[in-house]
Amino acid sequence: MRRYVQTPGPIGEFSELSLAQRAGPLDLLYTGYGLLVVAVVVASYVLGAFGWLSHDPQAINVGLINAPPFTSGHLLGTDFLGRDLQARLILGIQAYFLPGLLAITISVVGGSILGILAGYKGGWFDTIITYFDNLLDSFPRLVLILLVIAAFKPDIYYVMVVVGITGMPVIANLIAGKIAFLRQKSFIEAAHALGLPAHTVVLKHILWLNCRALLVIQATLGMAEAILVETSLSYLGFGVQEPTPSWGNMVQAGANYFLQGNFWPSTAPALAILATILGLQLLGDGLNNLLEGKRRK
Amino acid sequence: MKFAAVKPVSRVLARELAVTALLLLGVSVVVFAILYLAPGDPLNVLLEGQSPRSELALGMREALGVPRTWYGQYAAWFGKMLQGNFGNSIRTGLPVLPELARVGVYTLTLTLGSLTLTLLIAVPIAVHAAAHGGTAGNTAATLGAYVLSAVPVFWFGYIVVYVFIHQFGMFPLISGTAAKQEHAWLYFLVPIFVLGIASGTLSEMIRHLREELSRVLAEDYIRTARAKGAPVWRHAFKEGFLIPVTEIMSAKIPFLLGGAVIVEQVFNWPGMGRMAWQAAQDRDFPVIMGIALVAAAFVRSGNLLQRVIFTAVNPRASRE
Repeated sequence: MRRYVQTPGPIGEFSELSLAQRAGPLDLLYTGYGLLVVAVVVASYVLGAFGWLSHDPQAINVGLINAPPFTSGHLLGTDFLGRDLQARLILGIQAYFLPGLLAITISVVGGSILGILAGYKGGWFDTIITYFDNLLDSFPRLVLILLVIAAFKPDIYYVMVVVGITGMPVIANLIAGKIAFLRQKSFIEAAHALGLPAHTVVLKHILWLNCRALLVIQATLGMAEAILVETSLSYLGFGVQEPTPSWGNMVQAGANYFLQGNFWPSTAPALAILATILGLQLLGDGLNNLLEGKRRK
Repeated sequence: MKFAAVKPVSRVLARELAVTALLLLGVSVVVFAILYLAPGDPLNVLLEGQSPRSELALGMREALGVPRTWYGQYAAWFGKMLQGNFGNSIRTGLPVLPELARVGVYTLTLTLGSLTLTLLIAVPIAVHAAAHGGTAGNTAATLGAYVLSAVPVFWFGYIVVYVFIHQFGMFPLISGTAAKQEHAWLYFLVPIFVLGIASGTLSEMIRHLREELSRVLAEDYIRTARAKGAPVWRHAFKEGFLIPVTEIMSAKIPFLLGGAVIVEQVFNWPGMGRMAWQAAQDRDFPVIMGIALVAAAFVRSGNLLQRVIFTAVNPRASRE
């Protein structure tokens, strides 16, 4: 059952060129921007977690609502209650950071296990896992999430478990493809011929030596997905609730003033979402070109 | 149309239909399992204020004919569904299936329309990039598609609404005066436009089409065709264009359906996505279950269609 796999670039091709020779200017630009975004997000998360903020994100100032950037000490302006947007944007990272990490952990661990079962064990496992993948792919993810929300409760960690599980098939397919490629090169046969036990071959030779770049790339892309889901749900009102900030509910809260011509309170968090998701996606693609050795002349 | 291609299609159709049926059965099991594992018992609503563990609860179950075992419950639910009975909405009391058919048309218009739009944008860029390599214009277009794909669709919707209000002076759908205005039909294109541009599928579509087409254009048989002076496009069309396009279209349907939930919310579009949102708010199980099943059926039929086209184009695949 041939199926479309969401993957940039060919799987498993080794390049003869060195990293420096392979690196195109665009790849370096993508990766550099992506790393910058990751650094800013992580630093902001730490700032928010310890409460090291220049303004109190909950301090209401009705005298200064929907202020534009650079007004009286508010670097990014204020929202519809006069709360500091910069502090709220930084605090909004709390809404997706740890849940997102949970989601990508589930995808990476679960996807690796399924991929190894499908690729290394093969046979019936392969068939069952292919059906499982197709089954998960049948649901629009947001619909599945709404179903879980209706059945359980609108809890971000429940949602992220769903995101993690629906992210497993892509990783499983990539790893199974990688193993098929390694088999073709007699790689695995050689490892067995050396008398290495199966767990060493799987953990060290397959996962660590050949799949770690792939897993890092997929984790990066998975984090982008998790942020998209979290902000979308907060926008829809199923995520973090006011007054706790999330980028999604900030866009939603600011939207009432948008149509009156007051763009900024809704646009600032939207730009944060845009910059972050773009950064993670570019990082994923840039790393893919650099580490997975896309053929380049 | 070659006759050789006819037989494999019917054979693959039979196999794929069986696979689709099996997967839809699996879909129903997943949906049932989620609801079965959910905390709380709908029966408690009927027994408000009384002990749920009492004889009364047991008697109530018997009286309503609720099977005791989980497989009994599943079989009863599934049997009813096969007869087209998806239950009644808890909120409105209306039967779910006719309601879904009513709003499903809107969602179908929205998703298929935006899929078409995404293709209309992606195909020229991808074909140009594959044929001419990485020129500055191509790089800019690809980068632009990346940025558009990362734009949050809910915010993009407001931008477009704002532009429409201020440039064209139109308030329809928000104030419900759509029918009375001139060019009102234009407004129905706006959500399609928003979902088509910002659903996050654009950059991936361009990349997939470009890579597949450039792969095929580098094949030996294309070089031979080129050397013979035969039309390259006609030789590359099936494998380099038709197959990747159908592949990516069927792969992106679930994403568009997910995006429809948000876009319908932004634009008050009376489709399945809005209904799903409302149902999740109200914990209206029959409705959200019905939507999940219908959406999965939609995704599977798109996939089935893609497989049929793939086999018709490439009959060899049926013997794999």
